[in-house]
Amino acid sequence: MRRIRPNAAGKGDLTDAKRPQGNKLSEAEAIEKAKQGDPEAFEFLYHLHKRRVYSLCLRMTGNTASAEDLTQEAFLQLFRKISTFRGESAFSTWLHRMSVNVVLMQLRKKGLPVVPIDETAEGDEEGTAVRKEPGAPDERLAGSIDRLQLQRAVDELPPGYRTIFVLHDVEGYEHNEIAELVGCSIGNSKSQLHKARIKLRELLRANRAEKAGKR
Amino acid sequence: MNCLQFEKELPDSLEGARTPEQQAHLSACSACSSLLADLDFIATQASSLNDLQEPSPRVWNSLEAQLRREGLIRQPARPTLHNPFWRWRNAWIVPVAAALLVVAGIKLYQPTKAGDNQPIAKQNVLPARPARSAISTEDSEMMKTVASRPPAQVAAYRNDLDQANAFIRDAQESLRNDPNDIYSQQLLMDAYEQKQMLYHLAMDQSDDEQ
Repeated sequence: MRRIRPNAAGKGDLTDAKRPQGNKLSEAEAIEKAKQGDPEAFEFLYHLHKRRVYSLCLRMTGNTASAEDLTQEAFLQLFRKISTFRGESAFSTWLHRMSVNVVLMQLRKKGLPVVPIDETAEGDEEGTAVRKEPGAPDERLAGSIDRLQLQRAVDELPPGYRTIFVLHDVEGYEHNEIAELVGCSIGNSKSQLHKARIKLRELLRANRAEKAGKR
Repeated sequence: MNCLQFEKELPDSLEGARTPEQQAHLSACSACSSLLADLDFIATQASSLNDLQEPSPRVWNSLEAQLRREGLIRQPARPTLHNPFWRWRNAWIVPVAAALLVVAGIKLYQPTKAGDNQPIAKQNVLPARPARSAISTEDSEMMKTVASRPPAQVAAYRNDLDQANAFIRDAQESLRNDPNDIYSQQLLMDAYEQKQMLYHLAMDQSDDEQ
Protein backbone atom coordinates (compact mmCIF):
# COMPACT_ATOMS: atom_id res chain seq x y z
CA MET A 1 0.00 0.00 0.00
CA ARG A 2 1.34 3.39 -0.98
CA ARG A 3 1.94 5.92 1.73
CA ILE A 4 1.71 9.65 1.40
CA ARG A 5 3.20 11.69 4.17
CA PRO A 6 1.65 15.12 4.37
CA ASN A 7 4.15 17.90 4.74
CA ALA A 8 4.15 21.63 4.32
CA ALA A 9 3.50 21.26 0.60
CA GLY A 10 1.44 18.13 0.57
CA LYS A 11 -0.70 18.63 3.66
CA GLY A 12 -4.30 17.96 3.04
CA ASP A 13 -3.59 16.90 -0.50
CA LEU A 14 -6.05 14.13 -1.23
CA THR A 15 -4.81 13.33 -4.66
CA ASP A 16 -3.15 10.00 -5.35
CA ALA A 17 -2.30 11.16 -8.84
CA LYS A 18 -3.59 14.05 -10.84
CA ARG A 19 -3.85 11.95 -13.96
CA PRO A 20 -4.23 8.23 -13.27
CA GLN A 21 -2.50 5.95 -15.68
CA GLY A 22 -4.62 5.08 -18.64
CA ASN A 23 -7.20 7.73 -17.95
CA LYS A 24 -7.88 10.38 -20.54
CA LEU A 25 -9.27 13.07 -18.26
CA SER A 26 -7.22 15.46 -16.18
CA GLU A 27 -8.60 16.62 -12.85
CA ALA A 28 -9.26 20.13 -14.15
CA GLU A 29 -11.12 18.77 -17.18
CA ALA A 30 -13.14 16.46 -14.97
CA ILE A 31 -14.14 19.34 -12.69
CA GLU A 32 -15.41 21.34 -15.66
CA LYS A 33 -17.29 18.33 -17.05
CA ALA A 34 -18.80 17.53 -13.65
CA LYS A 35 -20.19 21.07 -13.57
CA GLN A 36 -22.11 20.09 -16.71
CA GLY A 37 -23.44 16.92 -15.06
CA ASP A 38 -21.15 14.51 -16.90
CA PRO A 39 -21.38 11.10 -15.12
CA GLU A 40 -17.92 10.01 -16.19
CA ALA A 41 -16.40 13.14 -14.67
CA PHE A 42 -18.06 12.52 -11.31
CA GLU A 43 -16.85 8.96 -11.32
CA PHE A 44 -13.33 10.04 -12.27
CA LEU A 45 -13.17 12.58 -9.44
CA TYR A 46 -14.55 10.08 -6.97
CA HIS A 47 -12.05 7.38 -7.86
CA LEU A 48 -9.20 9.90 -7.86
CA HIS A 49 -9.84 11.00 -4.29
CA LYS A 50 -11.84 8.21 -2.64
CA ARG A 51 -8.96 6.52 -0.85
CA ARG A 52 -7.67 9.67 0.80
CA VAL A 53 -11.13 10.79 1.87
CA TYR A 54 -12.07 7.35 3.15
CA SER A 55 -8.78 6.89 4.98
CA LEU A 56 -9.17 10.29 6.63
CA CYS A 57 -12.71 9.43 7.76
CA LEU A 58 -11.57 6.03 8.98
CA ARG A 59 -8.72 7.47 11.03
CA MET A 60 -10.94 10.10 12.58
CA THR A 61 -13.80 7.72 13.46
CA GLY A 62 -12.05 4.37 13.87
CA ASN A 63 -15.12 2.69 12.36
CA THR A 64 -15.40 1.39 8.79
CA ALA A 65 -19.19 1.71 8.48
CA SER A 66 -19.14 5.31 9.73
CA ALA A 67 -16.15 6.07 7.52
CA GLU A 68 -18.01 4.84 4.43
CA ASP A 69 -21.12 6.84 5.26
CA LEU A 70 -19.01 9.94 5.87
CA THR A 71 -17.06 9.41 2.65
CA GLN A 72 -20.32 9.35 0.73
CA GLU A 73 -21.55 12.44 2.55
CA ALA A 74 -18.29 14.34 1.92
CA PHE A 75 -18.41 13.62 -1.83
CA LEU A 76 -22.09 14.43 -1.97
CA GLN A 77 -21.48 17.83 -0.41
CA LEU A 78 -18.55 18.38 -2.72
CA PHE A 79 -20.52 17.55 -5.86
CA ARG A 80 -23.45 19.67 -4.74
CA LYS A 81 -21.11 22.64 -4.53
CA ILE A 82 -18.85 21.83 -7.45
CA SER A 83 -20.41 24.53 -9.61
CA THR A 84 -19.07 27.11 -7.14
CA PHE A 85 -15.51 25.81 -7.39
CA ARG A 86 -13.43 28.44 -9.12
CA GLY A 87 -10.02 26.87 -8.78
CA GLU A 88 -8.52 29.51 -6.49
CA SER A 89 -7.52 26.73 -4.12
CA ALA A 90 -6.49 23.21 -4.93
CA PHE A 91 -9.47 20.96 -5.44
CA SER A 92 -7.95 18.34 -3.15
CA THR A 93 -7.45 20.88 -0.36
CA TRP A 94 -11.05 21.95 -0.75
CA LEU A 95 -12.23 18.35 -0.57
CA HIS A 96 -9.99 17.58 2.40
CA ARG A 97 -11.33 20.52 4.37
CA MET A 98 -14.87 19.52 3.50
CA SER A 99 -14.26 15.94 4.60
CA VAL A 100 -12.85 17.06 7.94
CA ASN A 101 -15.89 19.29 8.45
CA VAL A 102 -18.25 16.43 7.61
CA VAL A 103 -16.56 14.21 10.21
CA LEU A 104 -16.55 16.95 12.85
CA MET A 105 -20.21 17.68 12.15
CA GLN A 106 -21.00 14.00 12.62
CA LEU A 107 -19.10 13.87 15.92
CA ARG A 108 -21.03 16.89 17.13
CA LYS A 109 -24.33 15.33 16.04
CA LYS A 110 -23.53 12.23 18.04
CA GLY A 111 -22.68 14.38 21.03
CA LEU A 112 -19.06 13.27 20.97
CA PRO A 113 -16.46 15.84 21.97
CA VAL A 114 -14.59 17.42 19.09
CA VAL A 115 -12.23 19.07 21.54
CA PRO A 116 -11.11 16.66 24.26
CA ILE A 117 -12.76 16.78 27.63
CA ASP A 118 -10.07 17.06 30.26
CA GLU A 119 -9.71 13.97 32.34
CA THR A 120 -9.35 15.41 35.80
CA ALA A 121 -8.76 11.97 37.23
CA GLU A 122 -5.38 12.06 35.53
CA GLY A 123 -4.49 15.21 37.42
CA ASP A 124 -3.55 17.49 34.58
CA GLU A 125 -2.75 20.28 36.96
CA GLU A 126 -0.40 18.10 38.89
CA GLY A 127 1.44 16.76 35.90
CA THR A 128 1.35 13.00 35.85
CA ALA A 129 3.00 12.25 32.55
CA VAL A 130 6.27 11.35 34.20
CA ARG A 131 5.37 8.64 36.62
CA LYS A 132 8.17 7.79 38.95
CA GLU A 133 7.83 4.16 39.73
CA PRO A 134 10.79 2.93 41.73
CA GLY A 135 12.08 -0.30 40.40
CA ALA A 136 10.09 -0.09 37.13
CA PRO A 137 12.23 -0.31 34.02
CA ASP A 138 12.34 3.05 32.25
CA GLU A 139 12.28 1.50 28.81
CA ARG A 140 11.57 3.78 25.87
CA LEU A 141 8.91 3.07 23.29
CA ALA A 142 11.22 3.34 20.31
CA GLY A 143 12.11 -0.09 18.98
CA SER A 144 9.40 -1.90 20.89
CA ILE A 145 6.26 -0.52 19.21
CA ASP A 146 5.22 -1.19 15.65
CA ARG A 147 2.81 0.65 13.40
CA LEU A 148 -0.05 -1.72 14.08
CA GLN A 149 0.22 -1.23 17.82
CA LEU A 150 0.26 2.51 17.34
CA GLN A 151 -2.81 2.35 15.11
CA ARG A 152 -4.63 0.27 17.70
CA ALA A 153 -3.76 2.76 20.41
CA VAL A 154 -4.98 5.66 18.26
CA ASP A 155 -8.26 3.81 17.77
CA GLU A 156 -8.55 3.52 21.54
CA LEU A 157 -8.12 7.26 22.07
CA PRO A 158 -11.24 9.14 23.17
CA PRO A 159 -12.80 10.86 20.11
CA GLY A 160 -11.69 14.38 21.04
CA TYR A 161 -8.06 13.39 21.49
CA ARG A 162 -8.15 11.31 18.33
CA THR A 163 -9.43 14.25 16.28
CA ILE A 164 -6.62 16.57 17.33
CA PHE A 165 -3.94 13.89 17.04
CA VAL A 166 -5.05 12.74 13.58
CA LEU A 167 -5.41 16.27 12.24
CA HIS A 168 -1.98 17.39 13.51
CA ASP A 169 0.32 14.40 13.57
CA VAL A 170 -1.16 12.31 10.76
CA GLU A 171 -2.78 14.80 8.39
CA GLY A 172 -0.28 17.58 8.98
CA TYR A 173 -2.56 20.46 9.92
CA GLU A 174 -1.05 23.38 11.88
CA HIS A 175 -2.48 24.42 15.23
CA ASN A 176 -4.02 27.61 13.83
CA GLU A 177 -5.87 25.55 11.19
CA ILE A 178 -7.06 23.03 13.77
CA ALA A 179 -8.23 25.85 16.01
CA GLU A 180 -10.30 27.20 13.13
CA LEU A 181 -11.68 23.79 12.15
CA VAL A 182 -12.73 22.57 15.57
CA GLY A 183 -13.48 25.94 17.11
CA CYS A 184 -10.92 26.21 19.88
CA SER A 185 -7.92 28.40 20.66
CA ILE A 186 -4.44 27.68 19.30
CA GLY A 187 -3.20 27.18 22.85
CA ASN A 188 -5.95 24.68 23.48
CA SER A 189 -5.07 22.79 20.33
CA LYS A 190 -1.42 22.54 21.45
CA SER A 191 -2.37 21.51 24.93
CA GLN A 192 -4.83 18.87 23.74
CA LEU A 193 -2.36 17.45 21.25
CA HIS A 194 0.15 17.09 24.05
CA LYS A 195 -2.42 15.29 26.19
CA ALA A 196 -3.36 13.05 23.29
CA ARG A 197 0.29 12.01 22.89
CA ILE A 198 0.60 11.45 26.63
CA LYS A 199 -2.54 9.30 26.52
CA LEU A 200 -1.12 7.34 23.60
CA ARG A 201 2.09 6.79 25.51
CA GLU A 202 0.13 5.39 28.44
CA LEU A 203 -1.83 3.08 26.16
CA LEU A 204 1.28 1.86 24.38
CA ARG A 205 3.18 1.26 27.61
CA ALA A 206 0.23 -0.58 29.11
CA ASN A 207 -0.07 -2.67 25.98
CA ARG A 208 3.62 -3.49 26.08
CA ALA A 209 3.47 -4.39 29.77
CA GLU A 210 0.48 -6.64 29.12
CA LYS A 211 2.32 -8.44 26.36
CA ALA A 212 5.41 -8.84 28.52
CA GLY A 213 3.27 -10.31 31.31
CA LYS A 214 1.93 -12.96 28.97
CA ARG A 215 5.39 -14.19 28.05
CA MET B 1 13.62 23.31 37.23
CA ASN B 2 11.79 20.25 38.50
CA CYS B 3 9.72 17.63 36.63
CA LEU B 4 6.39 19.38 37.23
CA GLN B 5 7.67 22.65 35.81
CA PHE B 6 9.22 20.85 32.86
CA GLU B 7 5.97 19.05 32.06
CA LYS B 8 3.96 22.23 32.33
CA GLU B 9 6.13 23.91 29.70
CA LEU B 10 6.34 20.83 27.52
CA PRO B 11 3.37 21.47 25.14
CA ASP B 12 4.83 24.80 24.06
CA SER B 13 8.41 23.64 23.87
CA LEU B 14 7.76 20.46 21.89
CA GLU B 15 7.94 22.17 18.53
CA GLY B 16 10.36 24.91 19.40
CA ALA B 17 13.80 25.42 20.87
CA ARG B 18 14.29 24.47 24.51
CA THR B 19 15.46 26.87 27.12
CA PRO B 20 18.78 26.27 28.90
CA GLU B 21 16.79 25.36 32.03
CA GLN B 22 14.84 22.72 30.17
CA GLN B 23 18.00 21.33 28.60
CA ALA B 24 19.66 21.15 31.98
CA HIS B 25 16.70 19.32 33.43
CA LEU B 26 16.62 16.86 30.57
CA SER B 27 20.29 16.06 31.05
CA ALA B 28 19.74 15.36 34.72
CA CYS B 29 16.33 13.61 34.64
CA SER B 30 16.05 10.25 32.90
CA ALA B 31 12.24 10.10 33.37
CA CYS B 32 11.62 13.42 31.61
CA SER B 33 14.18 12.58 28.98
CA SER B 34 12.41 9.25 28.39
CA LEU B 35 9.03 11.01 28.23
CA LEU B 36 10.30 13.44 25.63
CA ALA B 37 11.83 10.64 23.55
CA ASP B 38 8.54 8.72 23.62
CA LEU B 39 6.49 11.76 22.60
CA ASP B 40 8.87 12.49 19.74
CA PHE B 41 8.70 8.84 18.72
CA ILE B 42 4.87 8.89 18.71
CA ALA B 43 4.77 12.10 16.67
CA THR B 44 7.25 10.70 14.15
CA GLN B 45 5.55 7.34 13.86
CA ALA B 46 2.17 8.99 13.28
CA SER B 47 3.24 9.55 9.68
CA SER B 48 3.24 5.80 9.17
CA LEU B 49 -0.50 5.79 9.88
CA ASN B 50 -1.14 7.60 6.65
CA ASP B 51 -1.83 4.43 4.70
CA LEU B 52 -4.53 4.70 2.11
CA GLN B 53 -7.42 2.30 2.23
CA GLU B 54 -10.11 1.52 -0.25
CA PRO B 55 -13.80 2.10 0.50
CA SER B 56 -16.20 -0.63 -0.60
CA PRO B 57 -17.91 -0.28 -4.02
CA ARG B 58 -21.23 0.34 -2.27
CA VAL B 59 -20.06 3.90 -1.49
CA TRP B 60 -19.86 4.87 -5.15
CA ASN B 61 -23.05 2.99 -6.03
CA SER B 62 -25.03 4.79 -3.34
CA LEU B 63 -23.39 8.09 -4.18
CA GLU B 64 -24.09 7.78 -7.88
CA ALA B 65 -27.72 6.85 -7.26
CA GLN B 66 -28.09 9.89 -4.99
CA LEU B 67 -26.42 12.19 -7.54
CA ARG B 68 -28.88 10.98 -10.17
CA ARG B 69 -31.83 11.43 -7.85
CA GLU B 70 -30.73 15.00 -7.16
CA GLY B 71 -30.22 15.67 -10.86
CA LEU B 72 -26.51 16.46 -10.48
CA ILE B 73 -25.66 13.72 -12.96
CA ARG B 74 -27.59 14.74 -16.01
CA GLN B 75 -26.61 12.11 -18.55
CA PRO B 76 -27.29 8.41 -18.74
CA ALA B 77 -24.72 6.09 -17.29
CA ARG B 78 -22.06 5.04 -19.76
CA PRO B 79 -21.67 1.34 -20.35
CA THR B 80 -18.44 0.00 -18.93
CA LEU B 81 -16.40 -2.82 -20.35
CA HIS B 82 -14.56 -4.26 -17.39
CA ASN B 83 -15.98 -7.73 -16.60
CA PRO B 84 -17.10 -9.22 -19.87
CA PHE B 85 -18.59 -12.28 -18.17
CA TRP B 86 -21.02 -10.22 -16.13
CA ARG B 87 -21.91 -8.12 -19.12
CA TRP B 88 -22.64 -11.15 -21.28
CA ARG B 89 -24.71 -12.77 -18.55
CA ASN B 90 -27.17 -9.86 -18.58
CA ALA B 91 -26.45 -8.42 -21.97
CA TRP B 92 -29.60 -9.86 -23.50
CA ILE B 93 -31.74 -7.36 -21.58
CA VAL B 94 -30.53 -4.31 -23.47
CA PRO B 95 -30.96 -5.66 -27.02
CA VAL B 96 -34.46 -6.81 -26.13
CA ALA B 97 -35.33 -3.37 -24.78
CA ALA B 98 -33.70 -1.75 -27.80
CA ALA B 99 -35.61 -4.08 -30.15
CA LEU B 100 -38.86 -3.09 -28.51
CA LEU B 101 -37.88 0.52 -28.95
CA VAL B 102 -37.12 -0.01 -32.64
CA VAL B 103 -40.34 -1.95 -33.21
CA ALA B 104 -42.32 0.78 -31.53
CA GLY B 105 -40.55 3.40 -33.63
CA ILE B 106 -41.12 1.54 -36.91
CA LYS B 107 -44.77 1.03 -36.17
CA LEU B 108 -45.25 4.61 -35.12
CA TYR B 109 -43.46 6.22 -38.02
CA GLN B 110 -44.44 3.72 -40.74
CA PRO B 111 -45.19 5.88 -43.82
CA THR B 112 -48.71 5.63 -45.13
CA LYS B 113 -49.28 4.84 -48.80
CA ALA B 114 -49.39 7.80 -51.19
CA GLY B 115 -52.87 9.16 -51.55
CA ASP B 116 -54.03 7.26 -48.55
CA ASN B 117 -55.56 9.89 -46.35
CA GLN B 118 -57.29 7.45 -44.08
CA PRO B 119 -56.21 7.69 -40.51
CA ILE B 120 -54.43 4.64 -39.22
CA ALA B 121 -56.77 4.40 -36.29
CA LYS B 122 -58.03 1.00 -37.27
CA GLN B 123 -54.59 -0.49 -37.54
CA ASN B 124 -53.14 -2.28 -34.61
CA VAL B 125 -50.33 0.23 -34.25
CA LEU B 126 -48.53 -1.22 -31.29
CA PRO B 127 -47.74 -4.69 -30.18
CA ALA B 128 -49.03 -3.54 -26.86
CA ARG B 129 -50.03 -6.75 -25.13
CA PRO B 130 -47.16 -9.00 -26.23
CA ALA B 131 -44.65 -6.25 -25.46
CA ARG B 132 -46.06 -5.78 -21.99
CA SER B 133 -45.80 -9.41 -21.18
CA ALA B 134 -42.21 -9.57 -22.52
CA ILE B 135 -41.23 -6.48 -20.56
CA SER B 136 -42.58 -7.92 -17.33
CA THR B 137 -40.13 -10.80 -17.57
CA GLU B 138 -37.27 -8.44 -18.34
CA ASP B 139 -38.29 -6.17 -15.50
CA SER B 140 -38.16 -8.99 -13.02
CA GLU B 141 -34.69 -9.96 -14.35
CA MET B 142 -33.51 -6.40 -13.94
CA MET B 143 -34.85 -6.23 -10.39
CA LYS B 144 -33.04 -9.49 -9.63
CA THR B 145 -29.83 -7.89 -10.88
CA VAL B 146 -30.17 -4.97 -8.46
CA ALA B 147 -31.69 -6.95 -5.58
CA SER B 148 -28.45 -7.16 -3.61
CA ARG B 149 -28.02 -3.38 -3.46
CA PRO B 150 -29.03 -1.14 -0.56
CA PRO B 151 -32.82 -1.08 -0.01
CA ALA B 152 -33.09 2.63 -0.86
CA GLN B 153 -31.43 2.02 -4.21
CA VAL B 154 -33.61 -1.00 -4.98
CA ALA B 155 -36.66 1.08 -4.12
CA ALA B 156 -35.43 3.83 -6.43
CA TYR B 157 -35.05 1.34 -9.29
CA ARG B 158 -38.52 -0.07 -8.59
CA ASN B 159 -39.97 3.42 -8.58
CA ASP B 160 -38.24 4.48 -11.81
CA LEU B 161 -39.28 1.26 -13.51
CA ASP B 162 -42.90 1.65 -12.42
CA GLN B 163 -42.87 5.20 -13.72
CA ALA B 164 -41.49 4.16 -17.09
CA ASN B 165 -44.06 1.35 -17.35
CA ALA B 166 -46.85 3.74 -16.39
CA PHE B 167 -45.76 6.12 -19.16
CA ILE B 168 -45.69 3.25 -21.64
CA ARG B 169 -49.19 2.09 -20.65
CA ASP B 170 -50.58 5.64 -20.81
CA ALA B 171 -49.02 6.28 -24.20
CA GLN B 172 -50.27 2.95 -25.58
CA GLU B 173 -53.76 3.61 -24.29
CA SER B 174 -53.73 7.05 -25.80
CA LEU B 175 -52.49 5.71 -29.14
CA ARG B 176 -55.21 3.10 -29.26
CA ASN B 177 -57.70 5.94 -29.17
CA ASP B 178 -55.79 8.12 -31.58
CA PRO B 179 -52.93 6.44 -33.45
CA ASN B 180 -51.95 9.75 -35.10
CA ASP B 181 -51.36 11.53 -31.81
CA ILE B 182 -47.80 12.75 -32.21
CA TYR B 183 -47.47 13.70 -28.56
CA SER B 184 -48.33 10.16 -27.43
CA GLN B 185 -45.97 8.71 -30.03
CA GLN B 186 -43.14 10.81 -28.64
CA LEU B 187 -44.11 9.92 -25.08
CA LEU B 188 -43.96 6.24 -25.90
CA MET B 189 -40.53 6.56 -27.49
CA ASP B 190 -39.27 8.54 -24.49
CA ALA B 191 -40.64 5.96 -22.07
CA TYR B 192 -38.90 3.12 -23.88
CA GLU B 193 -35.67 5.12 -23.92
CA GLN B 194 -36.01 5.77 -20.20
CA LYS B 195 -36.46 2.08 -19.60
CA GLN B 196 -33.48 1.20 -21.73
CA MET B 197 -31.40 3.66 -19.73
CA LEU B 198 -32.50 1.97 -16.51
CA TYR B 199 -31.33 -1.38 -17.85
CA HIS B 200 -27.99 0.15 -18.81
CA LEU B 201 -27.62 1.69 -15.37
CA ALA B 202 -28.43 -1.57 -13.59
CA MET B 203 -25.86 -3.45 -15.63
CA ASP B 204 -23.25 -0.75 -15.39
CA GLN B 205 -23.33 -0.76 -11.61
CA SER B 206 -23.37 -4.54 -11.53
CA ASP B 207 -20.03 -4.42 -13.31
CA ASP B 208 -18.63 -2.18 -10.62
CA GLU B 209 -19.81 -4.53 -7.91
CA GLN B 210 -17.81 -7.38 -9.37
